[in-house]
Amino acid sequence: MSTSTLASVQSRQLQDLPKQRTLLGDAARRFARNKLALLGLAMVSILLLTAIFADFIAPYPYDAANPAKALQFPSREHWMGTDEVGRDVYSRIIYGTRISLTVGVGVMAMALLIGIPLGLLAGLAGGAVDYFIMRLVEVFTAVPALMLALLLLSVFGGGLFNVILALGVVAWLDACRLLRAQLLSLRERDFVLAARMLGATSTRIAVRHLLPNTVAPLIVAATIGIPTAIFAEAGLSFLGLGINDPIPSWGKMVGNALSYMRVYWHLGVFPTLAIAITMLGFTFFGDGLRDAFDASMNR
Amino acid sequence: MARYLFGRLVGVLVVFFIVSVVIFLLMHAIPGGPYNEDKVPLSAEAKANYMRKYGLDRPLVEQYLLYMGNALRGDFGVPFQSPTETVSGLIARTWPVSASIGGLALLVALPLGLLLGTLAAARQNTWVDYLTSATATLGITVPNFVIAVWLVLLFAVQLKWLPTGGWGQWQHYVMPVAALALAPMALTARYTRTSILEVSRSDYVRTARAKGLSDRQIMVRHVLRNAMIPLLTILAPQIPNLITGTIFIESIFRVPGLGKFFVTSILARDYPMIMALMLLVAVVWSLVYLVTDILYTVVDPRVRLEKSRT
Amino acid sequence: MQPKTIPLAAKRTSTWMALFLIVALLLQACAPAAPGGVESAAPEAAPAGPVVNALGKELPPDAAPLDQQVLIYPYSGWRTFTTIDFFQAVYERADALTDLLSDSLVRLDKNFQVNPGAATEWSVDESGLVWTFKLDPNLMWNDGTPVTADDYVATFRYGADPTHAWDFSWYYQGVIKNWTQAVNGEVPVEEIGVRAVDAHTLEFTTEMPAPYLPAMLLYSAPLQKKALETHGGLYNSNPATSVSSGPYKLVEWTKDQRLVYEINPDYKGTNIPYIQRLVVVAIGQPSQLLPAYEANEIDFVWGSGTLSPADLELIENDPELSAQYHPHYGDFRTYYFAFDVSKPPFDNLLVRQAFAHVLDRDTILPNIVKRQGIPAYSFLMPGFPASNSEAFKDTYPYDVEKAKQLLAEAGYPNGEGFPKLVMKLRAEGPTPVAVAQAYAAALKEHLGVEVEVSNMDFKSYMDELNAKPTQVQFTLISYGMDYLDPSNMLGVFLSGGRHPWSNAEYDRLVKEASSFTGDPAERTRMFQEAEKILVEDAAFVFVYHQTPGDLIKPFIKGPALEPDNNGVAAWHWPGFSTFSDLLSGVYITKDVANYRQPPQ
Repeated sequence: MSTSTLASVQSRQLQDLPKQRTLLGDAARRFARNKLALLGLAMVSILLLTAIFADFIAPYPYDAANPAKALQFPSREHWMGTDEVGRDVYSRIIYGTRISLTVGVGVMAMALLIGIPLGLLAGLAGGAVDYFIMRLVEVFTAVPALMLALLLLSVFGGGLFNVILALGVVAWLDACRLLRAQLLSLRERDFVLAARMLGATSTRIAVRHLLPNTVAPLIVAATIGIPTAIFAEAGLSFLGLGINDPIPSWGKMVGNALSYMRVYWHLGVFPTLAIAITMLGFTFFGDGLRDAFDASMNR
Repeated sequence: MARYLFGRLVGVLVVFFIVSVVIFLLMHAIPGGPYNEDKVPLSAEAKANYMRKYGLDRPLVEQYLLYMGNALRGDFGVPFQSPTETVSGLIARTWPVSASIGGLALLVALPLGLLLGTLAAARQNTWVDYLTSATATLGITVPNFVIAVWLVLLFAVQLKWLPTGGWGQWQHYVMPVAALALAPMALTARYTRTSILEVSRSDYVRTARAKGLSDRQIMVRHVLRNAMIPLLTILAPQIPNLITGTIFIESIFRVPGLGKFFVTSILARDYPMIMALMLLVAVVWSLVYLVTDILYTVVDPRVRLEKSRT
Repeated sequence: MQPKTIPLAAKRTSTWMALFLIVALLLQACAPAAPGGVESAAPEAAPAGPVVNALGKELPPDAAPLDQQVLIYPYSGWRTFTTIDFFQAVYERADALTDLLSDSLVRLDKNFQVNPGAATEWSVDESGLVWTFKLDPNLMWNDGTPVTADDYVATFRYGADPTHAWDFSWYYQGVIKNWTQAVNGEVPVEEIGVRAVDAHTLEFTTEMPAPYLPAMLLYSAPLQKKALETHGGLYNSNPATSVSSGPYKLVEWTKDQRLVYEINPDYKGTNIPYIQRLVVVAIGQPSQLLPAYEANEIDFVWGSGTLSPADLELIENDPELSAQYHPHYGDFRTYYFAFDVSKPPFDNLLVRQAFAHVLDRDTILPNIVKRQGIPAYSFLMPGFPASNSEAFKDTYPYDVEKAKQLLAEAGYPNGEGFPKLVMKLRAEGPTPVAVAQAYAAALKEHLGVEVEVSNMDFKSYMDELNAKPTQVQFTLISYGMDYLDPSNMLGVFLSGGRHPWSNAEYDRLVKEASSFTGDPAERTRMFQEAEKILVEDAAFVFVYHQTPGDLIKPFIKGPALEPDNNGVAAWHWPGFSTFSDLLSGVYITKDVANYRQPPQ
């Protein structure tokens, strides 16, 4: 697909704006009626707010250690206890929201930013473009992800930014492949065939019928992608790579807790819960969005 | 079909070439080398000798061509980590171990995941749905090494039903397979549920229903079949990972598999092993991918093989 | 007591034996299935007399039968494990049981006394440079050839050979004559100062007087010259090519799973073991050591850096486990923070002193290190020769106000303008990591200095540390002894060594003291003077001396585990190899039956 076609896609979108707005409004109304989706929205909002206002919420700084109070169980003073150097686990979880969401959202953003355009190009343009994009996808799929991340971190060193890069470099494949597969499958569905028979141009079909239909699986992929990235980071911590201390990330906290949690359960349970809540929040939210869009689309 | 296969083959070779160059460059960009300087640096002479012995003093291009040339002839070199065997020998020794655990995990995860996902979709928004979703969430939210550690404490230390780890008897399979199967099972369940719900709402299912087909017929003939497409897309890339082993599970349960080498090869700067592992995964992956593509045409006849090439 | 009970027991068992014999004979006569019955009856009958193993060593009365004299020991499954020979690769032995297939010249007892090993006696000439070691003429390889001085010479030449690139070649540098030159490829290996005078006389020539040479020669378990030449340095990595003159022989090595040694019936040396069979199993994750131990799958857990604070807590609260916990001094390991003094900001003494004053050992030790260490104010651990720990207690006491003032004097009031630091760690376990984190937090809190802690993989860390100039600006690292002499420990800080710190006076004192053959008190004084310079210059801040504790199953007993001169009853460094007599001093008691099934 050439850039001119892309440009025309964009101009089409602009022309279609009024229609879209009703579509969006419709979806929003549906979304508002779905209790689980609202709960998801609330959870995700709370997470985001926590991340933004961590400085005001956390009772202690995330890096203030008091070895004299190391490894305390949850108490009134320390709601989630203290870790191996006497840092307040609750405060670290709060600040960890910021770090872990940065990792999760950062990796996912990288995945979508690379994956969506490439997937669209491959699925819509076909031909040589598709061929090359698919070979590129294959190159990255064919490399063991953990090994590639380790190689990259070994070459460029650890740290938050490099961890996001090392994980993001392979995270876009799912989005790209999913989008392309969906487009291929949709191309031949009844409603597209009908549109084609009615004389719609292929760009118009792409924008009006194909694109909206690919949103749902992408949202699902994204909602799973965020906790997956948080996890992959935990895996790197398990291997001793990844984000440096004292910067708190949930994944790292879980990884560290491995040698402590048999006695000091609070070190493992709370970060795991935090990841689970994030996961649930994004899942409910994503499912809600999908349901809302789907129903509106299929009208 | 022949044209398609030929095209795939060319594609795979292109991929192999790019992957091998990228990995080769990356691994040589890591500081340090395979020689041992754990306490005090080696003398310059000793280090030079070492490099000469393994051909590491030659230009990178030459090293690359030499390695790939040998690899094409089936000689993948000698692993620095285990110089008494060949890379091929090491892989032949460890891979079946990882593959057996990964394969079993897949055999457990797929049907269970499909079942749970279908149940959840069929009983949407009931306790069945919530329970399966909760299990699925657990599978995706708790890292498998955390689950593995708890399995050991529960079944080996507390209950004494199983050994904490090891290899050779059927008891040694139980915990690694369970820990490994949880995530793909959760993933399968989740995607099955999503796809089924989505397909159920589609036009052709409505048409089928209007035609008077029974729910069961619709489920099998239309819904499940169509739901398989995104599932294939999501699960297929997991397979090479599953059957080539994971250090997280293998190191906790003392499974003598291939998994640890994905990490130790890098830590030990074991260049021949890194290259061999990379090529191995590439081969496994291309086979899986080929099968997936063919499966697409089976579950979704509207996708024809030529389509994905052109 | 004992002499009285033994005959009684013997009498009773002999009656039983007679009964068994009759039953067995009857069974044999009656049924074809009988042979099984006889076989199972046989072990019951065995304890009648004193049990003697294949090497003629009599087992104590409470010892388990020979087939249960099995020790199961864990090794780290992650580390590269290519060899069981010191002279092949020291750091590719994965902390397994190794160096059992030949005798080193000397061996240590539990009080760290140097005793004869393969060498029956040794002496030095008046110049203090030429040492003669007499070899035990009885020693034989189990292929029927004698152990000769040539085997030792070939082994040392192999170690100095630059084509071998031995990871421990630094050890004999500057000590054995021409060693350094050989390692650097300047002279052929034939010219190193190790020579066979005759088949059983070995001669060492040193660069300068080295009174510590016998102690150093702990690491001298030889490879067989013939096997080395025929099969190369890895001949012991395969039971088929393996050859032994030591107490054990290798019978199985299943990669990534286990090694099995069995007692060598052809052993002619003096370090005769009780234990019949050694099984060394791979444990990938240190966190899985304790569970495997609790499940009776391993008999031993080395505590050095592997047991986490949670593990220790569990052990402390479990009366059974705490009775099996044996604290000791390990390899006299000291953990210390080190700065790159060649570059700002740490080229400034005031900065280093400020850093030294914010280390609060009195809080960190009891709360984080707990039983795994004692506070360190200097490098040499109490109990180590020339240790002078008490004298340095007040050199840099915990004093936040003083530290702030010093940092301000250095030009960084409240840490303003101080660069952000990354403290690098060498693949450390949970305890050192927590110590590093606590110190980093204190630096931020008291001095306003931002420190990130990065626990790196071993190789990357060493590569960065060894780089010239070094890429490790700030680190927590440790050193443990190789042999029991201050020349070894203090040698680490000589110019051109591990760290960029360099002090001419220190170098002079350590080198002079090392080769000093006069009054031992004077030698000690010189080392102590050197250590004073080391501590006062604050290029290194010493935190704690590691006192690891090992878990040992109660069915492992013997003189080696009885209290030493300091009352420490533990699995002493250097562990179960021909470097120590621990090998001949432990056995498995009958109590083992309560822990595991007898082997089939």
